[in-house]
Amino acid sequence: MTADAPRPPAPAHRLPLRWRVMDRIEAVAAALWPAAFRRATPWAFLAPALLLVGILLIGLGYVISDSLHELNPATYRLREEYSLGNYAAFLDRPVYLLVLWRSLLAAVLVTAITLVFAFPYAYVMVRTRSGALRKLLLVSLFLPFFIGQVVRAYGWLIILGKQGLINQALEGLGLPAATLIYTYPAVIFGLVQYMLPFAVLMLAPALTAIHEEVELASESLGADWLRTFRHIVIPMAKPGLVGASVVVFTLTLTDFAMPEILGGGTNDFIASTIYDMFFQLSNPGLASALAAVLVAVGSLIVALVFRVAGTGTLGLRSGS
Amino acid sequence: MTPMVELDNVTRRFGDTAAVREASARLERGEFLTILGPSGCGKTTLLRMIAGFDRPSAGRILINGQAIDAVPPFRRSIGMVFQRLALFPHMTAAENVAYPLKMRRFDPAEIPERVERYLELVRLKGFGSRRPHEMSGGQQQRVAIARALSFSPDLLLLDEPLSALDRKLREEMQLEFRRIQQELGVTTINVTHDQREALVMSDRVVVMDAGRIQQADTPAAVYRQPSNRFVASFIGMTTVFPGMVAEAPEGIGEIIVGDVRLPARLPAGGLAPGTAVDCGLRAEQVRVVAPGAPRPETTIGGLVERRIFEGDRLVYEVRVPPLGNLTLMVFDHDPATHAEHEVGARVLLGWNARDLFVFPKETTENATRQETGPAS
Repeated sequence: MTADAPRPPAPAHRLPLRWRVMDRIEAVAAALWPAAFRRATPWAFLAPALLLVGILLIGLGYVISDSLHELNPATYRLREEYSLGNYAAFLDRPVYLLVLWRSLLAAVLVTAITLVFAFPYAYVMVRTRSGALRKLLLVSLFLPFFIGQVVRAYGWLIILGKQGLINQALEGLGLPAATLIYTYPAVIFGLVQYMLPFAVLMLAPALTAIHEEVELASESLGADWLRTFRHIVIPMAKPGLVGASVVVFTLTLTDFAMPEILGGGTNDFIASTIYDMFFQLSNPGLASALAAVLVAVGSLIVALVFRVAGTGTLGLRSGS
Repeated sequence: MTPMVELDNVTRRFGDTAAVREASARLERGEFLTILGPSGCGKTTLLRMIAGFDRPSAGRILINGQAIDAVPPFRRSIGMVFQRLALFPHMTAAENVAYPLKMRRFDPAEIPERVERYLELVRLKGFGSRRPHEMSGGQQQRVAIARALSFSPDLLLLDEPLSALDRKLREEMQLEFRRIQQELGVTTINVTHDQREALVMSDRVVVMDAGRIQQADTPAAVYRQPSNRFVASFIGMTTVFPGMVAEAPEGIGEIIVGDVRLPARLPAGGLAPGTAVDCGLRAEQVRVVAPGAPRPETTIGGLVERRIFEGDRLVYEVRVPPLGNLTLMVFDHDPATHAEHEVGARVLLGWNARDLFVFPKETTENATRQETGPAS
């Protein structure tokens, strides 16, 4: 019980139970966290996030530091002295650049294809008047989430594999079997399927924020459906589009499981190469250098996107 | 001359319920018509059908004598100002106004001049480069109306655009909308639940309730000669009470309420003596008669039960024992008599016989009775 405020006079009638409980809770909270601490409250809530980012930054520091030491093949330890040898090796061996290029191209392709599919999906989900359809779309969206990326990739193997459902069907029709897995398109396909829910979930709030009246207004002003879409819906959905692009792009760029399983080792992304470098070839120096390059390239591209689209697209409106 | 808009028995059903029932009305060129009614009365559904966002389940809508059911909104020549204005936030005011011109393929050379002209019409000269979020509520209203008019549509629709404004700005914009409408002579349909707005702005008012048009008439006629109980009680503050016809000559007859006979204006066509009726008396048409002042046609004594101060007027609730202890609402606008009557005081109330409305008692059938067509 705090002593700083005089107790209010007892009311003539008893207050509702819920009020009395809330009063108790407030009294306890005031005892535990006095008014003098109030100014610190926002910082206290921020602390876990700051801690997490801080730890990540420390880890990144270690990675960069490791990348500056070459492996000593004699001892399988990193040498003491600093050098840029790992970065030279990265630039020297075309395979690393190829893997990076393959990852970047996939990220761009997957982002573009996913947005094309996600936009109409999110639009219908937000705009439909049928509650049943909206529920169906939402459940279809979340169900794959519960399954996980690896299991889903294996699911695709069952369907697309050499003895998979599709090839069995082709065989039944007397057609030659097709190579549907362990190809680049198979990896792209799996990634698009994996990213779709993320993109839809990023787009849905942005589309919800566009009031239907705005579209009706555009129609009444003389724009047909297509032109309304082009001149009104897409520009107004820009925050969602930018957000979804950044999320899909970075998740694809750093993806490990899909290229590993649906690429079958023939279409490794940079994450797989980093993994192999750490755990197969036991070269943490070169692995760290590759990781540092990946972080730098990814950050650069995201920074570029925000630079062009403006951070205002994320709802962070700057002064002007 | 063909009317600009003609509604021909328009009905819109949603499942089992009819949002609009057999609405018929005509709108002449240059006319400003307001559809007035409580929320859910079907007025917005009617407007959406005229705009082309919805289709009638039965009946026809004609614009310029042409049935337009199959014409999509973007091919209709209708400008609309929406409830939430629906300005395009990613465009400047000028780009908003230019949008319909671009979509309707106006000569590009003509567009800047038109944008300039319509921004000037709504008194926003020099504001063209601002975005909607950089403008005040009133300025946004003006952009919305300039955008709806810049392509010279045949018809302007207003879907309660003023309802979100505070009272002072709303009253200012009512006059502003009317000025612009008269300056351009554009045929306009306004939808509102605000009776004051309907009376102030319109050439003609259509009162709707429960999907039906209850009365279509000039503002003065809707106010002075309501055609049924709903219209009488929706417009103004009206006390409605039961009575019975005593004598029914042409014009002023007599009705029995409680223990007394009151002279009253009976509806055209007359009612047989003994008919049960609903009577309506507007608070603003009942006066507290000062001693020695000239007496109106009907006077009756009562007791003040409540007194509410509203600034420009006092509202009394007065119990009138001879009328079966009926409580009448009375507005007193006369500053000289303010605060004179305490609760419990005896007062003399008075009104003129023609201000006592009488309607046949409404059965379920004629409760949804329909009155259509323009005033004769």
